[in-house]
Amino acid sequence: MREKTFGMGMNLIVLLFALFCFVPFWLVFIDSFASEASFMAHGYQLLPSALTLDAYKFILQGDQIFRSYRVSILVTIIGTALSVIITAMYAYVIANRKVKYRNILSFLTYFTMVFGAGLVGFYILIANWLHLKDSVWALILPYLLNPFYAFILVSFYRTLPYEINESATIDGAREIRIFFKIILPITAPAIATITLFYALQYWNDWWLSLLFIDNYKLHPLQMMIRQLISNLNVSSYVSGSSTSYSVSAPTNVVQMATVCLTIGPIVLVYPFVQKYFVRGLTVGAIKG
Amino acid sequence: MGFFKEIRKNVDLYILALPGLLFLLIFAYVPMSGHLLAFKKYQLMNGIWGSPWVGFDNFKFFFQGHDWIQVTFNTLFLNGLFIIFSLLISASVAILLNEIRMKLFKKLAQSIIFLPYFISWLVVSLMVFAILNTGDGLLNKFLITLGLPEVAWFQKSGAWPAILTIIYVWKFAGYYSVIFLASITGISSDYYEAAEIDGASRFQQIIHITIPLLKPIIIMLALLGVGRIFYGDFGMIYGIVGDNGVLFPTTDVIDTYSFRALRQLGNFSMSAAVVFYQSIMGLICIVVFNGLVRKIDKDSSLF
Repeated sequence: MREKTFGMGMNLIVLLFALFCFVPFWLVFIDSFASEASFMAHGYQLLPSALTLDAYKFILQGDQIFRSYRVSILVTIIGTALSVIITAMYAYVIANRKVKYRNILSFLTYFTMVFGAGLVGFYILIANWLHLKDSVWALILPYLLNPFYAFILVSFYRTLPYEINESATIDGAREIRIFFKIILPITAPAIATITLFYALQYWNDWWLSLLFIDNYKLHPLQMMIRQLISNLNVSSYVSGSSTSYSVSAPTNVVQMATVCLTIGPIVLVYPFVQKYFVRGLTVGAIKG
Repeated sequence: MGFFKEIRKNVDLYILALPGLLFLLIFAYVPMSGHLLAFKKYQLMNGIWGSPWVGFDNFKFFFQGHDWIQVTFNTLFLNGLFIIFSLLISASVAILLNEIRMKLFKKLAQSIIFLPYFISWLVVSLMVFAILNTGDGLLNKFLITLGLPEVAWFQKSGAWPAILTIIYVWKFAGYYSVIFLASITGISSDYYEAAEIDGASRFQQIIHITIPLLKPIIIMLALLGVGRIFYGDFGMIYGIVGDNGVLFPTTDVIDTYSFRALRQLGNFSMSAAVVFYQSIMGLICIVVFNGLVRKIDKDSSLF
C-alpha cells in the first residue's frame, strides 16, 4: 500500500513539473489567438474569452515575416550544411591515427574553448576587417566549427574499427574518397545528431544579428521578435508604410503570434528528432 | 619525420582538416588580438595596431569604480545558483522519471520537460513578460485573485536572482535529466534485484542505490560548470533583462557589461579590458577545475 502511494506521489510531482514546463508555451500559443478586445480587457489568460485569427492575418499581410523566414531558413540551411561538413572532416582528421599532428590540431581546438577571444576582437574582425556588417555571412561564418560538436564526432570516429580504413587503403582508395564514401555513410546517426545541434543553433541565434545586422530587410526571425518586443512602432515594422494609421496594431497579440510562427517548425519536428538529441547528449555526455 | 614529409604523406587528410583549421585561425585566434586593445587607447582611424599604448590605464579605470565588484559578484553568484539548482532539480526529475511505470506518461512528460531547451532566449523573454508583467501578467492576476497585492517584478531587482534561476532550471532541466537518465539506465539491475530480496522499498532503493551512483556525474557536471563560472550566458541575461537598468544591480554580468561598453558606449578599450579580465580569470578557473575533474575521473576532463 505504501509503495503504491509512493508511486502515485512521484507521478504527481512529475506531472506538476511537466505542467510548469508547459504552461508558458500554452500561454503564448492560446493568447496568440486572443482578440484584441479580449486582450485589452483581461490581459494574458490561460483561456481567452474570444479567439480569432486577427493577429496572424495582420502579420501575414506584411512583408517582414516572409523576409525574416527567408533569412532564417537560408542561414539555417547554408550554415548547417557547411558547418556539418567542415566539422565532420576536421573531426575525422583529429581521430585519425595516421595523422602525426593530430594532437596539435586537437590542442588548437581545445584552447579556443578555454580562452575566449572576447567580444571586442570578434566584433572588429567581423565588422572592420571582413566587412560583413549587414551581410548574411555574418550570421553564418562565426558558427561554422563548434569545438564541442567536433569532439562529440571525434569520440564517435574513435569507436570505428581501424580495419575499415586499412582495408580501404589497401584497395587503393584515397583518404578523401574513404571519408566521403565509407566513413560519412556509416557515421550517419552521429552526423544527424550534430546536424540537429547546428540547425538549432542557427535557427535560434539572435546575438549575431544583434551585433551585425542593422538593415531590417536582413533580420532573421529571432531578430524580428526582438524588434517586436522592443519596438513601439509595430505596425510600421511588420506591415511597412501601407498600414493605415486609423487601425491600431494589436501589439501583444502580434508578438505572440510571431513567436508561435518562429517556434512552430521546431515544435512540429521535435517529436521526430528528439531521439537524436538524446543520443548526442549521452554520447557527448559531460563534455557538452 | 620532417614537417613537409608528414604533410606530403598525409596530404589528403590535411586537406580535409584545412577548412576547419582556417576557421579556427580566422574566427578564434585572429580575434584574440583584440585583447591588445585592453592596453591601448583605441582610435578607429588607426586600428588595433596603430592605436597608442596606454599600459594599464584601462584596467585602472575599470578597477577603480565599484562596477567590477558588482559584475564579478553577479556573474559568480548567478552562475552558482544556476549550477546548484539546475543539477539538483534535473537529477531529481531524472530519478522520478525513471520510477514511472506508465510508458506513455513517461515519454510524454520527458518530451515536455525537454521542450524549453529548443526555443531561443528571446521567446523565453516574451513568456517571462507574459507571466510577470504588471497589470496583465498571469502571475500578478493570480496574486490579485488570491487577494494579494500586485508586484512590479520588472522593477524589483532583489527578486531577479531567484527568477533567473527558475527560468534557467525551466530551460535546462530536460537537457540535464537526459544525461542523468542515461547514467541511471546504465546502473546494473543486479543492485536493485539484490536490494529487493533484502526487502528494500523503492524509496530506499533510490536513497541507497540510485543517488550514490549518480553522485559522481553530478559532481563532475558541477565542476565543469564551475570551470566556466566567469562566463555568463549573454543570450539569456540580455535576452530577458535587456537594457532595463533598474535590474542591473543584481543581473548585470561581465558579458552584458562588456557588451554595453562596446555597443552602447562605443568604448572599445574599456570593453577589451573587461573581456581580458574575464578571459584570464576564466582560463584560471577552467585549468584549476579541470585538474580537479581529471583527478576524479580522467575520461571526463576537458583536456
